[in-house]
Amino acid sequence: MTSFTGRILCVDLGNGTAESRSVPPEVYEAVLAGKGLEAWYLYKHIPAGADPLGPENILAFAAGALCGTGAFLTGRWTVACKSPLTGGWGDANCGGVFAPAIKQCGYDAIFVSGVSETPVYLFCDGKTAEVRDASAYWGLDATEAENALHADLDPVCRKKPCVACIGTAGEKLSLISGVCNEGGRIAARSGVGAVMGSKRLKAVVLAGARPMPCHDPEAVKALSKELGRKIVKMSLPSGFGGFFGLGGRMMGRMPAMPMDGSLAVYMFREWGTQANTPLAVTSGDGPIKNWGGTPKDARGLPPQYNPDKINKLETLKYHCYSCPIGCGGRLDLRGRRYAAYPETHKPEYETLESFGPLLLNKSLDSVLQINELLNRAGMDTISAGNTVAWAIECYENGLLTKEQTDGLELTWGNTEAILALVRKMVDREGFGDALADGVKRASERYGGKEYAMHIGGQEPGMHDARNDPQLGVHFVAEPAPGKHTVGMGMEYGAMSLCDICSWAPPATLHAKKKDREDTEEMALITKANACYTMLTDGAGGCLYGVMMGVHMWKLVDYLNAAEGWDYDGDHYMEIGERIQTLRQLFNVKQGVDPASFRLPRRMLGWPSLSSGPLKGVTLPQHRAQVSSHWRAFGWDEKTGVPLPETVKRLGIDRLTEVDV
Amino acid sequence: MKKPVFDYRNCVSCGICAQACPVSALGMKKEGKSGKYRNVFPELINDDCIGCGQCARACPMEVVTMEEAGDAG
Repeated sequence: MTSFTGRILCVDLGNGTAESRSVPPEVYEAVLAGKGLEAWYLYKHIPAGADPLGPENILAFAAGALCGTGAFLTGRWTVACKSPLTGGWGDANCGGVFAPAIKQCGYDAIFVSGVSETPVYLFCDGKTAEVRDASAYWGLDATEAENALHADLDPVCRKKPCVACIGTAGEKLSLISGVCNEGGRIAARSGVGAVMGSKRLKAVVLAGARPMPCHDPEAVKALSKELGRKIVKMSLPSGFGGFFGLGGRMMGRMPAMPMDGSLAVYMFREWGTQANTPLAVTSGDGPIKNWGGTPKDARGLPPQYNPDKINKLETLKYHCYSCPIGCGGRLDLRGRRYAAYPETHKPEYETLESFGPLLLNKSLDSVLQINELLNRAGMDTISAGNTVAWAIECYENGLLTKEQTDGLELTWGNTEAILALVRKMVDREGFGDALADGVKRASERYGGKEYAMHIGGQEPGMHDARNDPQLGVHFVAEPAPGKHTVGMGMEYGAMSLCDICSWAPPATLHAKKKDREDTEEMALITKANACYTMLTDGAGGCLYGVMMGVHMWKLVDYLNAAEGWDYDGDHYMEIGERIQTLRQLFNVKQGVDPASFRLPRRMLGWPSLSSGPLKGVTLPQHRAQVSSHWRAFGWDEKTGVPLPETVKRLGIDRLTEVDV
Repeated sequence: MKKPVFDYRNCVSCGICAQACPVSALGMKKEGKSGKYRNVFPELINDDCIGCGQCARACPMEVVTMEEAGDAG
């Protein structure tokens, strides 16, 4: 026995059918489950040139290989499809309990094709799977819809259902919308919500109670027990948060260095990702003023985003399925300014940065409200923040008039105008309508392309390539461009990948400027990082597991115990390489030119910044670094297309002949 | 019939036991402290428990044991 159910659910909304199909073991051996299984299936089954918002696109929901085995930090579920934002590979993932719910229905993944004429939801309880009328839930925000489905279905289900659904942004086909679960926690990127909306699929409701398979559950649990005992003892004294602005300034001047992965655990247990905001502003990691500003522009902002201040609003921590860290929390917003909503999830760093320093917005209260507004609408805060930043810069430079912005005075830090614009985007009202499809479309309509920060159509995550050139490589070499979750230099310093992979270079203490150079070592580092992240995604693992390093979160040992295999790290890294190559082949099949993904000039250092930790920093070797990264993967160094010998070496030619 | 009993001292709030329950008799509803952190822990939230022991078998931290209902403390 392995951890795989061996079955997938294939739903066709065109005719309302749902069919269970078996997947041969060699597919799982090659790509695991999660994003790997999705890459294999979507590459094979979405025809070239398919309309992302049409019936030929397939929307996939998948759990990872380790989900349900007792392995910690393996509760991520991944949504994948052809992205309407980039025209190529699209995926997003999220935590919660939806991943085990997929497996408890007896499936590793659910693939939804076709378009329904009327709003529907998919219901599956492990015995039956059916497409049901969702007209009663259409028009509700994600949290309202989830609550309404629970009210209707909990009393008639033996096992409490899990719900993943779109909010109104997905219904309105916003190209920057995502899929939500557990009260607005969102798989946000790549426009996956618009694809779900285009299919008129409001929700997927899962209420199965099947046992989840595992080869050696006792061995898996022993690994988790060892990790859990360490983590439960880890806590920081309170009160450090106020010093993070200063800490960031020091970090900005420090060299790159190997780090202990336990640092990430301490940070995420104490604050969640939100701790990074003041650090990022002063260290050069976080973008300021639409990626063109410096810490001087953001003077006074770090104290507003003091993580201890946010923690004081926290009423309760919560954990994703199988997570001993618990970075999530509920915040009480009653009595706060702009408090249209009484509570919200503790915002992620990405949201705080996107609507705080990126816009020079000093109002934490407004960002907390925007967090809830966008979570409920099901709109990506990263993409939305970048788009609002573009609008402000256009307005400040006279490219947009007050008439065009529906009377909004879109100036830096104008909290009221920012809030009003976000509401307009969510409702697709007036000026907000064009912005609801992201910054690329908005700039094509109104101009100001030089202020539109996107890579291949997708807005970048809130980390600056000038500070972390390895991230810059991933931003453009990643088949879903602009994602910040594939690799970073800082992460690599904590992962200790060289201890499981024979070809991964060790992390070293070195001057940051060395990371801007095109070297074979750098290419192997970015390749190793991407391969390990893809492996993690196939396993359903959390990025925090990656950040802990291989000695704390023992992915290789977990996989061998869960599957009954005896493979070494090199073998598993090749699985990650295969998944990444399949995703790149997906883009090639869909006519997306990998070489067309480019960092915005601003992120390359043109014009260069005049002060702060990134003063004068440029990335002249960035394109050469990308070419070297492609070459390390066995992809053409000029075009980024996987070479035939690479496809053969990874067995992808045989794999794509396997049918279900 | 045996029912789950929890030794919260070793609980890491991972929710594996609650999700393993086939009848949703367990929920992460009990509020308490984990070190300095205010956190959630598993508890029986209704009378639906069928005594199957899946929660105890799933828990990696050996927090959950099955005991006769009368012995549960």
